[in-house]
Amino acid sequence: MAFTLCAQQEVRLSVRSRWTQTFTVVFAALALAVATSGYVLSGGSGTQDFSRTAASLVELVLLLVPLTSLVFGVMALTPDPGAAQLLYSQPVPRTVVLFGQLAGLCLALLAAQAVGFGAAGLLIFQRAGSDGVFGFLGVVAGSCVLTVVFLAVAATITAGSTSLRRAHHLAVALVVWFAAVVLFDVAALGAASLLRSGAASRLLMVAAIVNPVDAVRTGTLLTVDGTTAFGAASLAFLRMTGGTTGAALTLAASLVVWIVLPLGIAAARVRRADL
Amino acid sequence: MTTLLLMVALALPQEAVQDMTVTVGTLEGRPAATALSPLQARIDAARSGDRIDVQAGTYTGDLFIHRSIRLVGHGRPRLIGSGLGSVVRVRADDVLIEGFDIDGQLGGSLARDSSGIHVAGRRVTIRECRIVRSLFGVYLREADDAVVEGCDITGTEGRSAGEQGSGVHVWNAQRFTLRNNRVRYSRDGFYIQSANHGIVIGNEVSHVRYGLHYMNSDDNRFEDNTFQHGAAGAALMYSRRLTFARNRFLHNRGFASVGLLLKDCEDVVAEDNLVADNERGFFIDGAVRHLFRRNLVSSSDVAVVVYDSSQANRFEGNTFVGNLSPLRLVGRRTDTVFDGNYWSGFHEPDLDADGVRDRPYRLSNVFDHLRGNLTAADLFAQGIGARVLAHAEQTFPVLRPVAVSDVRPLTSPPPRGAIPLMPAQDAGRTFGGLALSALGVVAGLAVFHAGRRR
Repeated sequence: MAFTLCAQQEVRLSVRSRWTQTFTVVFAALALAVATSGYVLSGGSGTQDFSRTAASLVELVLLLVPLTSLVFGVMALTPDPGAAQLLYSQPVPRTVVLFGQLAGLCLALLAAQAVGFGAAGLLIFQRAGSDGVFGFLGVVAGSCVLTVVFLAVAATITAGSTSLRRAHHLAVALVVWFAAVVLFDVAALGAASLLRSGAASRLLMVAAIVNPVDAVRTGTLLTVDGTTAFGAASLAFLRMTGGTTGAALTLAASLVVWIVLPLGIAAARVRRADL
Repeated sequence: MTTLLLMVALALPQEAVQDMTVTVGTLEGRPAATALSPLQARIDAARSGDRIDVQAGTYTGDLFIHRSIRLVGHGRPRLIGSGLGSVVRVRADDVLIEGFDIDGQLGGSLARDSSGIHVAGRRVTIRECRIVRSLFGVYLREADDAVVEGCDITGTEGRSAGEQGSGVHVWNAQRFTLRNNRVRYSRDGFYIQSANHGIVIGNEVSHVRYGLHYMNSDDNRFEDNTFQHGAAGAALMYSRRLTFARNRFLHNRGFASVGLLLKDCEDVVAEDNLVADNERGFFIDGAVRHLFRRNLVSSSDVAVVVYDSSQANRFEGNTFVGNLSPLRLVGRRTDTVFDGNYWSGFHEPDLDADGVRDRPYRLSNVFDHLRGNLTAADLFAQGIGARVLAHAEQTFPVLRPVAVSDVRPLTSPPPRGAIPLMPAQDAGRTFGGLALSALGVVAGLAVFHAGRRR
């Protein structure tokens, strides 16, 4: 009950926030731009089929969703000191408050993304075949999972703190985003270039699993394109993870760890926090 | 021969290798009396030069054409094969076959080249025939001056390449014409071997292994064809003086797939072609004096693959748009010239406004360098990290200068000119997808609406 109340309250706060509204509009605009870009490429004739459009959508999701989840998460989970004292003095476990807030925030962000995906989908499915639906749902699912993962990470960063340290947390969040989205890939490729090819292959494949951003990218593109997604590398990946099911389970396991572990840490921290 | 096989094996997907040793089957003769079509009596009674009109209806059994006749169907009569060999066997010169629906019953054998229409005669024309369920569609065996036009050939969907033949098979037949045909689900769309001075124009081939599979044939022209959804759009080997104009090579994706593959060919001109959404666009190995001009290469993983065995090739005035990587050079160096092409990924300024960017475009970046040695790097090829690396390296070059660059990269794509457009997307609307999307928008907005209520 208290959980639902907290969630409801957070949804209200989020959807009234200019930030969320702006995100909704920007995300929808970018998704629409990606969906139309196929036409633009070759003189209005569209050389992109669904899988290329989906790949571009995935790229958009990978850049934007972690960033917004982290920033909005930090903003929402660092209330003013007074509000925090009031909130946490209620006869409700702190973890329930935290998880309620996260659920509300998550719902608001997913609603914003649903508008964007829906708008893009309305354009894409004017001309994409029905086999595109499954891939498109894969992209949406990836986006949802990334939202949850990075909200959980935001909770870990901020748990039990107030707006006094908001700037500090925001800085940490940005560093985390940059590391996960850009730095990790560059570092993995750099390290791989120094190793012998066998070890380098294993390193890259493990890297594609352990980073949640890469895990979502790998999983989504494999869903959309099958083994053509990465050419021979797809087969190597599937062989290492034990086939399609194995790959799905491995990627899912990595993402579940990325949700459960940060949430656990956040819960522990918020319980111990001295307000 | 072993060396030859080895070389081919290096360039092509594995399955291709199995049937490299193409043997020509024994020539099927007159079918047994029990397997003959009721129309056979009319052919046997005809004299050379006669025209035989066949009314609509179903005729079961094979036909043996041993006189120079014109066999014309009215109302699309159906010829259903005996299931023992080729349905129509042409063993005379100057034969015309027009307007039939032919069902091969999947009969006969690949070793005997069993076909819908098997031609071993000169100056034979086959027009407006629909051929289904036959191992080969039309087989031209030492059939000079043959014309196959307006035919629709459908192989057996789901059969592997080793279990069926090509749509149109041309063997040792000079001056052939293949015009406005449509081939689907065969082993290869057109297989052409030792056949010179031919023309292939206005055909559409899709869902086959190779759209065009081609060897040891010189002086042939390919115009306005579409080769799509195959392991390769066209794979040509050991041939000279070929021309490709206004063809479309589309959606050839999958393992080691390629739009147009040229191996050990000489003097090839490819101009005004549309090469879009292939794993690799152009692929040249052992190519000598090829000229690629005014083509549009788009949405490939790698736009151009060049083996260092190639010599004196030029790429001029092409448009390269939205390819993950512009060039893969296999080997150490190449004398291939890239001059005056447009590259969508290159944004160097053009301060003197002469339409040419102020610095040459190096057709390689640090990511391509990495992935060259490492398949697994492809997992990251579409990631943001790879782009950052590529961009950083353009700004601060760290690799030893790569030999290949476009010396005069254009600032804007050259006019489209004669390059064909993409075919209309026949996938059409997907109402399930549209409904889901609408639901997404509504649900999202509903959350916003609910949240705003007091």
